[in-house]
Amino acid sequence: MGEGTIVVKELDSGFKYRVTEEPGGEHLMRCYACGTCTASCPVRSIDESFNPRKIIRMAILGMKDEVLKSDFVWLCSTCYICQERCPQDVVITELMNALKNIAVKEGIIHPGYVAQATEIGKFGRLYEIDDFANKKREKMGLPQLKSEGKDIQTIYKSTGVDNYIAKPEEEE
Amino acid sequence: MSRIGVFVCHCGLNIAGTVDVEKAARLISNYPGVIYATDYVYMCSDPGQDMIKEVVKEKKLDGIVVAACSPTMHEVTFRNTVASVGLNPYRCEIANIREQCSWVHQNNKEIATEKAVQIIEATVEKLKLDKSLVPLSIPITKKALVIGGGIAGIQASLDIADSGYEVVLVEKNQSIGGHMLQLSETFPTLDCPQCIATPKMVQVGQHPKIKLLAYSEVEEVFGYVGNFKVKIRRKASFVDWDKCTGCGLCIEKCPVKVLSEFDEFLAKRKAIYTLFPQAVPNKPVIDSNNCLYFTKGKCRACEKNCSVEAINFEQKDSFIEEDVGAIIVATGYDLMDKAEIGEYGYGKYEDVIDGLQAERVLAPAGPTNGIPYRPSDGKIPKEVVFIQCVGSRDPEHYYPYCSKVCCMYTVKQAMLYKHAVPDGQAYVFYMDIRCNGKGYEEFLQRGIEEDRILYIRGRVSKIFKDGDKIEVWGADTLTGRKIEISADMVVLAMAMIPSQGVKKLAEKLRLATDEYGFLTEAHPKLRPVESLTAGCFLAGAAQAPKDIPEAVAQASGAASKVLSLFSQDVFYHEPIIGSVDEEVCVGCGNCVSICAYDAVELDLATKVAKVNPALCEGCGACSAACPSGAMQQNNFSKRQIFEMVDAFAKGS
Amino acid sequence: MEYALFLGCTVPARARNYELSTRRVAEALGIRLVDLDGSVCCGFPIKSVHYESFLLTAARNLILAEEKGLDICALCSACTSVLTEVNKELGENEELRKKVLRKLGIRKKFRFSNSIRVKHFARILYEDVGIDKIKSKIQKDLEPLKISAHYGCHYLKPSDIYDNFDNAEHPKSLDELIETTGAVPVDYENKNLCCGAGTLAMDENISFSMANKKLRSIKDAGADAISLICPFCSVMYDNNQPTIESKFSEEYNLPVLYYPQLLGLALGMNKKELGFNMNRVKVAPLLEKLKQ
Repeated sequence: MGEGTIVVKELDSGFKYRVTEEPGGEHLMRCYACGTCTASCPVRSIDESFNPRKIIRMAILGMKDEVLKSDFVWLCSTCYICQERCPQDVVITELMNALKNIAVKEGIIHPGYVAQATEIGKFGRLYEIDDFANKKREKMGLPQLKSEGKDIQTIYKSTGVDNYIAKPEEEE
Repeated sequence: MSRIGVFVCHCGLNIAGTVDVEKAARLISNYPGVIYATDYVYMCSDPGQDMIKEVVKEKKLDGIVVAACSPTMHEVTFRNTVASVGLNPYRCEIANIREQCSWVHQNNKEIATEKAVQIIEATVEKLKLDKSLVPLSIPITKKALVIGGGIAGIQASLDIADSGYEVVLVEKNQSIGGHMLQLSETFPTLDCPQCIATPKMVQVGQHPKIKLLAYSEVEEVFGYVGNFKVKIRRKASFVDWDKCTGCGLCIEKCPVKVLSEFDEFLAKRKAIYTLFPQAVPNKPVIDSNNCLYFTKGKCRACEKNCSVEAINFEQKDSFIEEDVGAIIVATGYDLMDKAEIGEYGYGKYEDVIDGLQAERVLAPAGPTNGIPYRPSDGKIPKEVVFIQCVGSRDPEHYYPYCSKVCCMYTVKQAMLYKHAVPDGQAYVFYMDIRCNGKGYEEFLQRGIEEDRILYIRGRVSKIFKDGDKIEVWGADTLTGRKIEISADMVVLAMAMIPSQGVKKLAEKLRLATDEYGFLTEAHPKLRPVESLTAGCFLAGAAQAPKDIPEAVAQASGAASKVLSLFSQDVFYHEPIIGSVDEEVCVGCGNCVSICAYDAVELDLATKVAKVNPALCEGCGACSAACPSGAMQQNNFSKRQIFEMVDAFAKGS
Repeated sequence: MEYALFLGCTVPARARNYELSTRRVAEALGIRLVDLDGSVCCGFPIKSVHYESFLLTAARNLILAEEKGLDICALCSACTSVLTEVNKELGENEELRKKVLRKLGIRKKFRFSNSIRVKHFARILYEDVGIDKIKSKIQKDLEPLKISAHYGCHYLKPSDIYDNFDNAEHPKSLDELIETTGAVPVDYENKNLCCGAGTLAMDENISFSMANKKLRSIKDAGADAISLICPFCSVMYDNNQPTIESKFSEEYNLPVLYYPQLLGLALGMNKKELGFNMNRVKVAPLLEKLKQ
């Protein structure tokens, strides 16, 4: 998770304010670094370099680039164990979402999420229920389903999120 | 022949698990002088005590031995028990068969039982020679001396005076108030300290029972509990305070400006000055080291402008004597000098200030009216670094103890800074954060969450100047990386140390201090406000680093100890003290020099030693040092000790 | 007993066995499930990308149910969690509620949690139908089977949105539901551990390692099968079990049954009605054991 000296004047001291304004990030500053989150994290138990406590710490210090540009925030499995156990109600899972949201606004987004959001935009669901799929459903006695992508498109447009998810697609 | 009863306690299994208590009681019942012996599960319980009382009456006993725990535990209990049925309490002895027997011989019941019997036999031998003693009664002067006029001294004085007893309050500065009056605001409620302390100061000034001696110091102390004689030096202020109206014109006209101690050298005062506007008493003193008249023989502006002719350049120190029955020492604290810390700039950078300076910088009534201008150039600092544990918790270089208040005042200072400079950033380097008081942790969390104070866990290794910035190099142990901050101002939470001069005062009062100079309490848990010198009590940071609520609580505790002393007309003192056989004493003086309590002196006329019973604490050093055997401790006579040794020797 | 059935994305496309068995079991227990026409993704994947879009997407689904005046029955735990969360948030926060409706171009007033609730199907079985009623309908005792419950994460967490339902650290509802069928619930280490599906799109190795850990402890505890209630978890344990086995050189052969499939067996349904052909790890050995 990065090495070397932290030179505070090169950091974004306003980052903590930005995070606390984001839904889910409100309690960032409450962290007193007890490490319960890291100790509970199932991802951490597989990959030592994933460390929620350290991510929170870096966000508090204003190490915006290191936080947003690394893979770490995207690796949270959203299992909520840390959030349940956090004594300071930092709501860590939601905080990770807040950080991801900020990353997206900075043009940083994991391709996995681009694909998911794009599919949902097209079909209203992660997986298209086409004629073939509907036939399978029919065979099992299940009702037919329609694609509902239009409504999602409207939402995407109204919030402007299509600007963010379109970008990486164009690059490809 | 004696009529002695022996009562062997089981102490549950504490004793009975190792010592065969029944056997011990049986064996001792045949010992010469013993007419009754029994055992019981808990002798200290009500039924146990009732049994003792019954037997004393029924068997007409003239002394008892309770074989049980250490006498420090229940000697008082059993002495009171026998006293209630008319036996002299000093005819009750404790044979310690727990700490000195059962607990140390748990593997061998036989030996333990044998030893228990020997201990009891030896104690019986001592008891046979015990005299019926009567506690000494010493008259009490119901007037207290309080040394130090900070918040602890103020509180103690008011508590005693409000109870109707006279108090002499001695303060070395020209006003009471102490460090509390220098503070910006107080944690965790952010009350203004002037708002909460000045009403108490005014009460002290107006109280008919309090004699306030400001600008004074304790010179000499004689006597003992209930009967101290204190000589107090009234330092020359060169102003006749009886005439002075406190109009302040002299201060206005004084042409000399010097750095102000009250403002921690961040602002200037005149050579004739009061400490602050709400001073009690509100009378000025002339600083003769800086006054032009004293240094150059000219000026006299103050004198010329004083309409009541209060200025008196000829004034000298004067002395007064007071008789008091009790003394409370509340001499407070100082901060360690930041010039001692090399890696933080030896105090040479103006913008590296200590905790009390930060208080003045942030105080609404401070030199900058609470706007945190930095000392070097008067700019408002945008990046402020606070460093905790400077000098504290550093046994290798400075002080091993925790100064206790720095964690909290640092939160407060960082918070106040952020309130004054919302777009500024406060950083706090800490090793641990200790917020163990009511509302303290919540206060810290408020500082972090609402004021976004950045707490960095690690020590700062180095501070140096780079242009107009102070570079702070430290470690952020939570990321495991080095961290560098370019700060505009740095605040060092320096270690709290006892105030200057307390060591000398402690010697005058025969008070013990720890190796750092803090006054030592009689017992760290059970006698926290008493000193080992009877009649002397402790309050506030003179005993150890303390915050305001703790200092006030201890002051009230010390005051209540004084009041309980004053609630009696005489003070009862243990009669187990040294006594001299004047026929035998050769006047060698060994006892005089060995006594730690100044209780023995040589009578100039008769050339024999004389014990002051009120001062003697019964330690026994004098009787051990006496070559002729003239000095004997009551009920610990040489003969008694030999009889005990014989009893042991016979047993083996 | 009537609910709006919220299918979400994964169930209708990849977990039709779950959908089928749920519908059958519901029918047998007298629960009417009304299909929520026009519903879309719950919004869960969008939450990581753009909070407002997520909020609007979830709200849109909730509105459909409120229009019908029906509580939602969700099958996927992630759907349950985000719909519950948004329902609660919009019910409690008037300002946000107004903003969301305005953004969605909806004039009519909706009350969200003040009008409807969101529940997972398993919670409906446990709370609304009740263990006693289910017991009374059991036709076949599954006693020989030893089953380990996998609760997954979002069924009970974040706990503050679930109004004290069950206990996130010491859950029991699913174990009791398993016990109701006559099967023996088997405890195991790491019971609360996440299946790992959350990071599948980001880092397969982490996901598989997490799933492997859990498969190992379930196998070590001596269970015959896993029972779970979330299509994501099933993707990890069932669909990916062979991959995990080869990757970590293990052999588990642990059938993974959606709880309604297990309950369906006890209610006397056949393997076709319960869609066992869609289960990747063969269920046949389990059925064999039952016959013995």
